[in-house]
Amino acid sequence: MEKTIIINIGNTIIHIEESAYELLKAYLIEVKQHFANHADDLEIVTDIENRIAELLTEQLEEQKKQVVDSSNVNLVIGQMGRVQDFDSTEEQEEEEPIINTTYQHQYAEKKLYRDMDERVIAGVCAGIAHYVNTEAKWIRLAMLLIIFLGGAGILVYAILWVIMPKAKSRIEKMEMKGEPANLQGFQKNLDEELQAVKERLSEVNKHAQPLFTRFGIFIGEFFEWLGHFIGGTGKVIFKIIAGVIIIFGVLFLLSLIIGFAAFQGFWDESIYEYFPFSIVSDSNRGIILLSAFVVFFIPILALVLFSIRVAFNKQAINKTLSFALLIIWLAGVATAGYQAAKISTEFKQHAELTQTTDLKILPSYVIDIDKSKYFSKEDSVAYHINSNQKNQIVVEDFENGPFVSPNNIRININKSETGITRLTQKFESQGKTFPSALQNAQNISYAYEVKESSLIFSPRFQLRKGTIWRNQEVWLNLEVPVGTKLILKQDAYRYINNYWSWSCDNNEHDGNDYSVWIMTDEGLKCQYELNHPTENKENQ
Amino acid sequence: MIAENTQTQMRKGILEYCVLSIISRGEIYASDIIAELRSAKLLVVEGTLYPLLTRLKNNGLLSYNWVESTSGPPRKYYTLTELGKEILSQLDQTWQELAYAVGISQKGANS
Repeated sequence: MEKTIIINIGNTIIHIEESAYELLKAYLIEVKQHFANHADDLEIVTDIENRIAELLTEQLEEQKKQVVDSSNVNLVIGQMGRVQDFDSTEEQEEEEPIINTTYQHQYAEKKLYRDMDERVIAGVCAGIAHYVNTEAKWIRLAMLLIIFLGGAGILVYAILWVIMPKAKSRIEKMEMKGEPANLQGFQKNLDEELQAVKERLSEVNKHAQPLFTRFGIFIGEFFEWLGHFIGGTGKVIFKIIAGVIIIFGVLFLLSLIIGFAAFQGFWDESIYEYFPFSIVSDSNRGIILLSAFVVFFIPILALVLFSIRVAFNKQAINKTLSFALLIIWLAGVATAGYQAAKISTEFKQHAELTQTTDLKILPSYVIDIDKSKYFSKEDSVAYHINSNQKNQIVVEDFENGPFVSPNNIRININKSETGITRLTQKFESQGKTFPSALQNAQNISYAYEVKESSLIFSPRFQLRKGTIWRNQEVWLNLEVPVGTKLILKQDAYRYINNYWSWSCDNNEHDGNDYSVWIMTDEGLKCQYELNHPTENKENQ
Repeated sequence: MIAENTQTQMRKGILEYCVLSIISRGEIYASDIIAELRSAKLLVVEGTLYPLLTRLKNNGLLSYNWVESTSGPPRKYYTLTELGKEILSQLDQTWQELAYAVGISQKGANS
């Protein structure tokens, strides 16, 4: 019993025993090698192959066999003749003197070729290594050193790339390595040899190639190498990027899930008192949260899945599922958009509410800001503050607290026409309808304190529990009679709306944390400026 | 060795002439050329013929047609071109001259 192989020779399908195949293969390689330097090698070899196929077929028919064995192959070889019997002088024409010379020399000399088999970029270093009979790594190391010592190495490499021809055929490779051209050498790699024979025709005149053609080859090869780089090393870089995206994407997805769970109620409810979560009303919270989650989660999931595909060349998800995800995402976007539109309608109507208080008429007032938070009675209950301990003052510093909402107050100071000191608090809010806007305005809780001549304002207002943020604002309007002296504490400066308070921070009061103002017929004036009008001008 | 070399040279010289002569008799298949050459005891192996045919064809002396074969793939049938015929007639003349020269050399001009 013998294993048979099906071969295609000269367009004929022939079953051949393995041993016979080896014999035939060796013979054909010999033949190809013999004609490798011939101008018409392809045609000659094809003719010979066709003839071999014909002879084998004839033999099979004569012997009524189905499979070619070694005896058949030997018969064919006998008829065709061994390479040694071929008329060796036949192909020594004047057409290719150079190649024939090298052939006759049996490649005793080494030639400088680029080694495409062991190349890193274009095989220059490997080729030099063969020529000087050393390992390629030393040449590469030297080349790298030259590159780092001023960068000339890149130019040297490029020039060598242009000058050195590439070792394409088996013969050139052997010339490059300085191997003797025996038949064993040619049988080293059949596939390579077949390839070389095919490319032979176009390579015949390599030695006569003008430099500009070489340069063209260089350009072509350079881009080919670039393509290889992108497909090889570049691919690695892409994979690393993809890996990083996968890691961070997964972390982000996990944090989204945790955040979603937290907002959903596993965490502190009070988060909803803070801006911007305070915009959302209770009833819609769930659906908005869900749609926001979907809107963010799915694209990141898609990015991660895509990265997995790039990194592992594997489809992590099938088409149906990804299509479903797309649908869910679109639904999420639609819901989020709808909810956003719905919320924006709740800002449609405007309402304001004013509350007027007449204060005791005094010749001077101190205006200050107290940054501590005053707790209303219900807040105290909510925060579990023990109200029995009356001496204890619970203070929360606004500066350190979380950003609750953009709810700063603004203070206007105006001249009183009636001669009465009066504080007007104006609460404004938006709402879907006027009544709801009014309701929202009423839910503003604002505290100020009058202590003898001191007016102490809280810098912020608060919304009563359960009230959602609808752009609530508090305007304070302080009217004082002409001639009243106002001492503005520095803390209060930035809340005064209609005067540039910092301009009164003069030299005389340098180091003090207040400025003194006087209400005149033309409005509030800085006392320092009134006393030193000229000096002030010079200063300015 | 020296004799062998000369023999090879002589054989090679007339091989091309013989091949052209065989083909001049009509369209012919490569293996039939070989059969003829073999019967004339001129050619040892087929492998020598193919490069020769290819070269003659490339030089414009021969042309070939693909002819369907009863067994296997189509075969190349060679014919002489006009150039080939012309060169063959020149070679005929040369051969006459050579034969004459050889005859004279061997036997002397007066025989």
